[in-house]
Amino acid sequence: MAGLNGDPFLGIDDNIEKLQYNNNSKEVIDKEGLVVGIGEDSSNNKNNNQGGEKDMAGNSIHRSGSRPQLDLSKAEIQGNSEERDPTILLPNQTDDISHLALDIGGSLIKLVYFSRHEDQSVDDKRKKTVKERLGISNGNRRNFPILGGRLHFVKFETSKLNECLDFISSKQLHRGRIDSHHWNSEAPANENAVIKATGGGAYKFADLFKERLGVSIDKEDEMDCLVAGANFLLKAIRHEAFTHMEGHKEFVQIDHNDLFPYLLVNIGSGVSIIKVDGDGKFQRVSGTNVGGGTYWGLGRLLTKCNSFDELLELSQRGDNRTIDMLVGDIYGGMDYSKIGLSASTIASSFGKAISDKKELQDYRPEDISLSLLRMISYNIGQISYLNALRFGLKRIFFGGFFIRGHAYTMDTISFAVHFWSKGEAQAMFLRHEGFLGAVGAFMSYQKHGLDDLMVHHLVERFPMGAPYTGGKIHGPPLGDLNEKISWMEKFVLKGTEITAPVPMAPPGTTGLGGFEVPSSRGATLRSDASALNVGVLHLVPTLEVFPLLADPKMYEPNTIDLSDHKELEYWFTVLSEHLPDLVDKAVASEGGTDDAKRRGDAFARAFSAHLARLMEEPAAYGKLGLANLLELREECLREFQFLDAYRSIKQRENEASLAVLPDLLLELDHMDEETRLLTLIEGVLAANIFDWGSRACVDLYHKGTIIEIYRMSRNKMQRPWRVDDFDLFKERMLGSEGKKPRPHKRALLFVDNSGADIVLGMLPLARELLRCGTEVVLVANSLPALNDVTAMELPDIVAEAAKHCDILRRAAEAGGLLVDAMNNNTLDGSRGNSSSVPLMVVENGCGSPCIDLRQVSSELAAAAKHADLVILEGMGRALHTNFNARFKCEALKLAMVKNQRLAEKLIKGKIYDCVCRYEPAT
Amino acid sequence: MDHLAHVSNQPNSQPQSQISHLALDIGGSLIKLVYFCRYDDNCRDDDELRSQNESLGSESDNSRPVLGGKLHFAKFETSKINDCLEFIHSMKLHLGGFHDCTAPSSDKIFIKATGGGAYKFADLFKEKLGVSLDKEDEMECLVTGANFLLKAVHQEAFTYLDGQKEFAQIDPNDLYPYLLVNIGSGVSMIKVDGDGKFERVSGTSLGGGTFWGLGRLLTKCKNFDELLELSHQGNNRVIDMLVGDIYGGTDYAKIGLSATTIASSFGKAISDNKGLVDYKPEDISRSLLRMISNNIGQISYLNALRFGLKRIFFAGFFIRGHAYTMDTISVAVNFWSKGEAEAMFLRHEGFLGALGAFMSYEKQCLDGLTVNKIPQRFPISVSSAGNKIYCSMNGKSNDNESIECTVYRT
Repeated sequence: MAGLNGDPFLGIDDNIEKLQYNNNSKEVIDKEGLVVGIGEDSSNNKNNNQGGEKDMAGNSIHRSGSRPQLDLSKAEIQGNSEERDPTILLPNQTDDISHLALDIGGSLIKLVYFSRHEDQSVDDKRKKTVKERLGISNGNRRNFPILGGRLHFVKFETSKLNECLDFISSKQLHRGRIDSHHWNSEAPANENAVIKATGGGAYKFADLFKERLGVSIDKEDEMDCLVAGANFLLKAIRHEAFTHMEGHKEFVQIDHNDLFPYLLVNIGSGVSIIKVDGDGKFQRVSGTNVGGGTYWGLGRLLTKCNSFDELLELSQRGDNRTIDMLVGDIYGGMDYSKIGLSASTIASSFGKAISDKKELQDYRPEDISLSLLRMISYNIGQISYLNALRFGLKRIFFGGFFIRGHAYTMDTISFAVHFWSKGEAQAMFLRHEGFLGAVGAFMSYQKHGLDDLMVHHLVERFPMGAPYTGGKIHGPPLGDLNEKISWMEKFVLKGTEITAPVPMAPPGTTGLGGFEVPSSRGATLRSDASALNVGVLHLVPTLEVFPLLADPKMYEPNTIDLSDHKELEYWFTVLSEHLPDLVDKAVASEGGTDDAKRRGDAFARAFSAHLARLMEEPAAYGKLGLANLLELREECLREFQFLDAYRSIKQRENEASLAVLPDLLLELDHMDEETRLLTLIEGVLAANIFDWGSRACVDLYHKGTIIEIYRMSRNKMQRPWRVDDFDLFKERMLGSEGKKPRPHKRALLFVDNSGADIVLGMLPLARELLRCGTEVVLVANSLPALNDVTAMELPDIVAEAAKHCDILRRAAEAGGLLVDAMNNNTLDGSRGNSSSVPLMVVENGCGSPCIDLRQVSSELAAAAKHADLVILEGMGRALHTNFNARFKCEALKLAMVKNQRLAEKLIKGKIYDCVCRYEPAT
Repeated sequence: MDHLAHVSNQPNSQPQSQISHLALDIGGSLIKLVYFCRYDDNCRDDDELRSQNESLGSESDNSRPVLGGKLHFAKFETSKINDCLEFIHSMKLHLGGFHDCTAPSSDKIFIKATGGGAYKFADLFKEKLGVSLDKEDEMECLVTGANFLLKAVHQEAFTYLDGQKEFAQIDPNDLYPYLLVNIGSGVSMIKVDGDGKFERVSGTSLGGGTFWGLGRLLTKCKNFDELLELSHQGNNRVIDMLVGDIYGGTDYAKIGLSATTIASSFGKAISDNKGLVDYKPEDISRSLLRMISNNIGQISYLNALRFGLKRIFFAGFFIRGHAYTMDTISVAVNFWSKGEAEAMFLRHEGFLGALGAFMSYEKQCLDGLTVNKIPQRFPISVSSAGNKIYCSMNGKSNDNESIECTVYRT
């Protein structure tokens, strides 16, 4: 595994070159009292560059998050860089675009555009054979109605329409590339180009678009679009909807089969209230003219604010009691309890402003803003509830740009709905609140196939700019990595300022329209952080739900929920402390050049900014689990083109381990069946200690050779382990009282780290299963993540191991893994001639140290079809995620806990405790 | 409110001995007074009175002492409570309270009062006038007052649509259930099922106080009435964002929105080019008025719908018989209900609470009053008060009209 462990390797300040298993043996005693005898040469030092090269070329990753999502080169901050959220100029965007849809409202223009992202179709032989074996047809992907790509979300103020036109023009968004792969192919390029648009501006500005861009606007009905957009988002994005009560945000997983009917309240300049009964089935049942435009319009007149956001931010420091007439003001500080009104309930918005003594200038703009905000939010909540009641709807979704993820707005609306419905109805909000119409307009393009997209096809990514801009990147576009880095360097000066917390409202100043001051948690929300980030939506049609999950709907990958703030702080600290070493490693992996150093710095800044952002607003990117955080780090590395920071470390360890493998296999073969099985499991647990993600383990590396550490560690594996189902597993494998059980048909082994972990731990176990007649599928990462072994690297490792072992060799041949090593004849004959069951390798579809089994590669999904045993190994995949996952088939979860906190939390144990959890099929 | 004029114009104010009973509704913005003045004994013919009672089918017991008289209505701004106290004092209205029946020996005088101020200003009344305020529940008073007016006063309720005022014939036997919307500083919505049978089902903080409060901040108006008057000459299209503004002048016909429908109140004020000074106060007032009236109309309708109520009565001081206000509310109710529900207004709109408080004397064991149902004959005592409030309907004052009535001593 990698990366998942609590105390990442701070211990290493040397660069990797110095790190060797050396001969100068010493005896070292670690804190657990393990005696580590050291002294063996890890001779295998041949420089095998092949793996690395291959990596570079062959990252044919399904989850194609490895490239910059937005080309940020030549990005510049436009205008006054002192202002908050400055416009970012991205001059060189060269995405393979595109389809564009617009929602031109009274105040804001929302753009949704699609950039195609071609999977580099790598002709990798492993894949071919895997496909043959698993019966995946080559046309699989092409049969899918859409190609992979990315959906981007951008917005502009309507008053700055020209900026928007420039943006479209510079990115050539209006010239949607027309080729056979694309929908809309009936339109010839550059002629009579048509853009889908909705909102009133689609009518109003149609001529301007024609004139400036030479495109026609195809007007889509606004309500149609809102509903189509909401339906799509609620179905396609897992944690799109959330509740927000008294400062507490909670994501809600919506069951697609139980989505309708619901009430959709879109708060733009005005408010539309729509009852939605199904796709395309809806009715606008109500609305109100007191909406976002009223807030901003009145707010502008009453304060000197220059922007909606400024006004919203002011409200954060306001005290509406100076201006609203409360029940207490009328009742001399008392409640009107008979009808359930507390003294702090607003009896009359702005009711105190009738006083003769004060004029407009005597009121604080902050108070005015808050009072206005309360008035309007509360009113919208009330009218929405009354309409929900009318139709017996329990769920009300609020969207539109008025909300802007603003905590008080959402709290007030939620309160109103809760109060009036006496808790019966629930207000929910949408992360893509402002983009419903634009998404809907996008959906209205024919033949895009988006309707068929399922939630597991979508991966949301947050590019490096996200923490700074709150998703508001716009302006003309970008180019190469170098420029992107300099952008980062420039922007970071702004960054610290932008992400610095805004002063909070003093406690007790905010009697929220009828409810008391929000809880302390709510008070920590920043208003400008408000903007929940909307990431770039990656469409990856090849991703599938792992078919062996017992209950995909109930499945939650994360074992550690970071909504517990202490937990969050702990992991953030861990990751932050780990960062300098990771940067060193990454820079070294790219040769330690100046360029690599600059990229390293840029990476560190980008990732730190993400961390800071999430620390402030843990839900900024949606529901946050530890797995998401760890994946974010890998994404960041890739964004700065550190494709494989651990490449040379992995090679070195693989070689060292392969060198001692024959001895180990010999040792194992001398054991009786029962001892061997135990030794194998011990071996997996022991080898799992070789983990670059764990500081505790890294310390060991300085002090011993790989086989010594392995042996020592294995000897230490005294049963019973902290979680010990070995006897159950043994009975399943070997039977009891002489009865030999039927072997498994196919086992999926989710492997973790390179080096000893895979070579001395998992491969021998795989070998044993093969010996029993069980097909073995090694499941490895698509993309590198720390020192985890990847699906690209595995065939070479297997091939090397096969040199020393007949069982592995025959199985690997049968599985088509030895095509490079053997001559081509064997390829054809392998399946027929070999008596062995096959050993195969599939990629898992992800590039994270953890795995979310709702989104795995199609080849893994295909491989799972005949599997009756799943083995998850390592902390990332067996503990941090999937510890509580239940499978339709038997499952074995093996890991050594290399983090004290996790050990306490998960198994009430100590560091280095082991988990061997066996679960029969459910 | 011009109470001094009121006092001097008050034809019934001369014989101080004849003043009797007073009830108060002390709200967030206004204090409403209802007080009863007896006729001179010879002012009225007993036969006339009797025949009137008979014609009304009154079951009144002639053996009980009958007092003819008038109920008078007056109001003050709450911020000028001292003027109000002075008025009460000068009229000796406070002496017409009642004595605590449970402690007859006590000479403590109680005055019925409702509204939040009954709590807030209790001490002040004690100090200044030496009377205690007997607090009556606000909602109860509103309902009692409304029920009384709707049952007892001829042509109390009317509809107002497109400038047409039409009195509604309310069958007292078919009055319930109805929705009572009282628009004071804030708004209360009460479902009324019968005498004393009601429930506050909703409300909103966007009420009269909002209109006046925001209006004061946005214009330089000195009082509510001035602001209201301004709205006459205003054009809200200057400042509201209309459907047509968004759709480039066309309707959004598919969902039934015409180009002139307000899409967003004050939505045009988001323009960078104009500041507060660039908008005419008239337009601002108009826009505000429409926003608030429309909103109240809508929420009221939704609540009526909830309980299947066809009739909605609007009352409270926000309305002030103002044509445009009533028109907007009516349009909102009509629009959202597609003509199913009807907005109605009350001529004594502002005094429901005070009247209800007054009625509560009846419930007291001693020295109570019974106000009998007598159709108001108007114009009577038009001069009694408030004559400078809008005379928008038929040129008549519809505010503060006194009600002729008979009071029985029990």
